[in-house]
Amino acid sequence: MSLLKPFNKLPELNTANILLVENETQFQKKLADTIVQLENDVNVIVRLARSLPLPVEIAEKRQRIDLVVFIVHLSSEQSLLSTEVSLKQLESGYFMGKMCFLVTGARCGTVPSERLTSLKKMAASLNSPLLMTEDGTTEGVNTAAQRVLNMLKISAGLVPMATGLYLSSLIRYTVPADPDWQDQD
Amino acid sequence: METQGGATATPRNQTVMHRSSRRSLGVELTSHFGCTPGQLTAIRTQTRREISKPRNLSELVDPEHLAALVKEEWRISYLTPMYQFKHTQLQSYSKRLAAFIVAEKQQGIGVEVGPEMGLKVVFSAVHGLAETEDDAEAVFIQIHSKSAAAEGEATKVVWSGWLCCVSGEVEYLRSLSTDFTCLPLFGASGAVSLTTTVMSWFERTFDCYFGPLGIDSTGLKWLAALWTGCHPDINIRYLKLSWTIPAQPPLDVSYTVHPQDAWELWNSIREVDGLGDTVGIEEVTYFMKGLEMHFFRHFRIYLSAGTLTKVTTALGSAHRDGKIRITSGDMMTSVLALLTECALLKMPI
Repeated sequence: MSLLKPFNKLPELNTANILLVENETQFQKKLADTIVQLENDVNVIVRLARSLPLPVEIAEKRQRIDLVVFIVHLSSEQSLLSTEVSLKQLESGYFMGKMCFLVTGARCGTVPSERLTSLKKMAASLNSPLLMTEDGTTEGVNTAAQRVLNMLKISAGLVPMATGLYLSSLIRYTVPADPDWQDQD
Repeated sequence: METQGGATATPRNQTVMHRSSRRSLGVELTSHFGCTPGQLTAIRTQTRREISKPRNLSELVDPEHLAALVKEEWRISYLTPMYQFKHTQLQSYSKRLAAFIVAEKQQGIGVEVGPEMGLKVVFSAVHGLAETEDDAEAVFIQIHSKSAAAEGEATKVVWSGWLCCVSGEVEYLRSLSTDFTCLPLFGASGAVSLTTTVMSWFERTFDCYFGPLGIDSTGLKWLAALWTGCHPDINIRYLKLSWTIPAQPPLDVSYTVHPQDAWELWNSIREVDGLGDTVGIEEVTYFMKGLEMHFFRHFRIYLSAGTLTKVTTALGSAHRDGKIRITSGDMMTSVLALLTECALLKMPI
């Protein structure tokens, strides 16, 4: 078992690597295509995975990954469980501005609210951002791609004066300081 | 001390329920992505409930109402509190609703309110369904058609519906002003066009709002556990669960469990985890996990990857889209209490 490490390789010039992790593999392809189409100045390399850990065989050849995005579909419990398992394969460095959660289906009324609550708690405990996205419409995919791309460029160090840790401390998800939230464990 | 940071309150502070005990921080680094109204409702979800015992309702509720309630499949909706709804004026509501339906049909032509309208609406109060004294009495509505051809014959019921509140959250009900009557759960059976007309009459007359009430998978799991738990008292005959798995092509899984097996699984979980007279959401989750794992062992399919769409037993059925059928009066109150809770979660704060 090998942890994915953020700083064990040198970065390449003008290149940003992103890893999309999604158990269902229905949204990541669309998102990957859109991300690549949106960016013209920088070489964006998108990697797709169903879950972590990544295969060891090609670990040497793989470039360093600048941002890990976990896509969680609230309509499926398996999606949440698989994310929970995959998270353990990341080295702690990723939680300092190099990972985020992407949630779909939060607007659907028949999705149990507990799932979103537990995901929010997970995001808050890991100090990571939680992006709500719409996977059904082209517009939604574009918006999601744009937001992910902006984060990617910062975490890959392509934006002067900004770092992933700084951005993440601004947009990370926090549990409200409300007594009701403290009661639940 | 409390008001220290008031001037620099972030938008988040304004959306969260105001509580006197809150401390507002001058600088709060919060994510703006988190400001969804969903979090306000999520925290009110109940995680423990009392074990419900089957009760014979036939002594409490008018048998005629009971028979009408258990016969049909209902499409349920939620309903915000009604302004100036009085249980004493049900007679006049009957006439007004009938006139409204006829007027809607005729689109602008004058309507004479009288006996020859072709339909009759009956509002009646259902006594005995309310559990606590804060619950308003349930109301049952029937629309009879009196077509000219069937003159002299018994009138035919073309539409029926009910409004109820069973064991509603006391804190919420008491917080309402006395002008409002809270009957958050609405069930309708009959032509959809009539349902829409009735809804719009209610919305106009009582300044309320109807919305579709889907039952999420947690609610369905609760129902499955609730029905299974009463198997020793009433034979549930089978426990049937339906899943939809988002594969290519979509896969519908129907999973029927022998009631005795289901009950033994439930009982073993209760024995390990049992805390007095209440059931916790963890136990319900373990129960469903157990069933899902058994399925995985045989078919190598993770049911948790899909969505639970329907739960059926001999006592009733519930569909994710908000269609329910209650075939036994004995467990009706517990089912309605659960649905009331779902409906109350939809209420605007």
